[in-house]
Amino acid sequence: MSAVFTQEKFRGGIAADDKYWEALADGEFRLCRCAQCGTWMVPAHYRCGACGSWEQVWPLVEPLGTIYSWTRTRMAFPRTEARADDVPFVTALVEVDGTDGARIFGIVVDTGTAPHIGDRVRGEIRPGTEKSFGYPTIEWQLVDAPTPAPGAGSTEGARA
Amino acid sequence: MSTLRGSTAVAGIGITPHHKRGTGGPALKLALEAIVAAAEDAGISPADIDGFVSYGSERSEGQKMMPALGTKELRFAALAWSHGGGIPGALNIAASAIATGQAETVVVYRSLSEYDGARLQVDVAQNDTAAQFLVNGLDSPIQMCAINTTRLIEGEGVPAETLKAMAQAGYHHAQQNPAAVGHGVQLTAEKYENSRWISEPYRLFDSSRENDGAAAVILMSAERARDLTEKPAFLLSAPLGTPAGWGPLEGNQNPLWSSGFSSVAKRLWAESGYGPQDVDVAQIYENTTGMGVAAIIDHGFCTLDEAGEFITFDNLIAPDGRLPINTAGGNLAEGFIHGMGLVVEAVRQIRGTSTNQVRGCSLSLMTGGPGDAVVSSALLGTEETL
Repeated sequence: MSAVFTQEKFRGGIAADDKYWEALADGEFRLCRCAQCGTWMVPAHYRCGACGSWEQVWPLVEPLGTIYSWTRTRMAFPRTEARADDVPFVTALVEVDGTDGARIFGIVVDTGTAPHIGDRVRGEIRPGTEKSFGYPTIEWQLVDAPTPAPGAGSTEGARA
Repeated sequence: MSTLRGSTAVAGIGITPHHKRGTGGPALKLALEAIVAAAEDAGISPADIDGFVSYGSERSEGQKMMPALGTKELRFAALAWSHGGGIPGALNIAASAIATGQAETVVVYRSLSEYDGARLQVDVAQNDTAAQFLVNGLDSPIQMCAINTTRLIEGEGVPAETLKAMAQAGYHHAQQNPAAVGHGVQLTAEKYENSRWISEPYRLFDSSRENDGAAAVILMSAERARDLTEKPAFLLSAPLGTPAGWGPLEGNQNPLWSSGFSSVAKRLWAESGYGPQDVDVAQIYENTTGMGVAAIIDHGFCTLDEAGEFITFDNLIAPDGRLPINTAGGNLAEGFIHGMGLVVEAVRQIRGTSTNQVRGCSLSLMTGGPGDAVVSSALLGTEETL
């Protein structure tokens, strides 16, 4: 087991999402929201550009959503060598229910076939491993759930 | 709106061979070779260059090259954000410096070598890749571009054949360019279709190469360029930017199928006074074919619905296609110096010296690295287009 994510923190991107990873480590799926106007902030940031608030809340979110896009990786790349035995593996970008269309990446549990845009998925939180550089992750599993009721979230991902 | 239209021009171009990765020697020396060649091409002394502009993770800074170039005084130096998306933006920075009197002779360049650097995906992306990607098995830019392109193909219904057309057009042009790495490599439809998957929907031939090398262009005032050279390539517009809803948003960009050029393309056409229908030839930065396809759509050459009909091999090749692209072979087949070779080729088309010359070319487009958090595009023109 490699070091925990806080000891080998990736500096890329906006990187204001420590609470996302800390929550996953505690077994909870939480996404960032502006404390004042409620705008979902994914990826998380320090200030809400919509209302100017510097305060955020991290509500619990049900890890349920729709595949918005995906790729099936067919070779091992240098920095993800630890996943060499998993090739081919699918990474999906999932639009999370009830978040105005916020999207979160995750490995899709292998079903032997490629997924489709619009497939419904449920997330399971996994502890950090060498493959994830010690970061806890959310892993998506295809489900045969009915599409959410209108108003429960954006349906943009299901249009294809 | 920018008031720089036509105020500067490219008067010199220089490019080293596209060396195989790890065989090109030090990047700093390659940068010097390209810059000295560009100065000779412009008919000036390398010592007269007083401005240095690059992009991405360039390490051959002007101040390091001064002793070797004989630089009298470095008066201007800058780096355009972000990665390949910033290339035309680097031209714009150079033009701004010249137009405001901060510098007179500015070189825009890029050098890279695995002799003393790492692979581009490491050098450029190592500390700029968010945890969301890395912990979920997404390491290389090709995988991240694949996420965008799945939206383009499966989400928006653009035919996957457009990717093949992009790849084949580049390789087709490389056959006329002896300096291209893909010279002598025939990319038949069968060869493309049978090539191995890298990250679906991308195969081996959908991805750009990596080479050791350097390329440079020298900008100066339009007036001086006219005195020095027969056919200056005037910079009509080279906006850099990103609209709200785009940027380093970890898959939350909208629309995700796009390459992020919507705002830049709008400014490009407004500033230059031209539109996609006027363009004679285009160098479309293709880190991957699908992102190049989206760049063509973003710039208004066709709509999502028309893409299958417009982005075909026949339409993309010189001299008679509706939009000949990547006429030296592009990042796929000429070689890859982080896209800078495309600027050199865009200038050759204005001069009439491309190995795949488009007849009567007067407007030459170069689009920067697609899908980057910040992107830019440049339109170059002949004297008649001013």
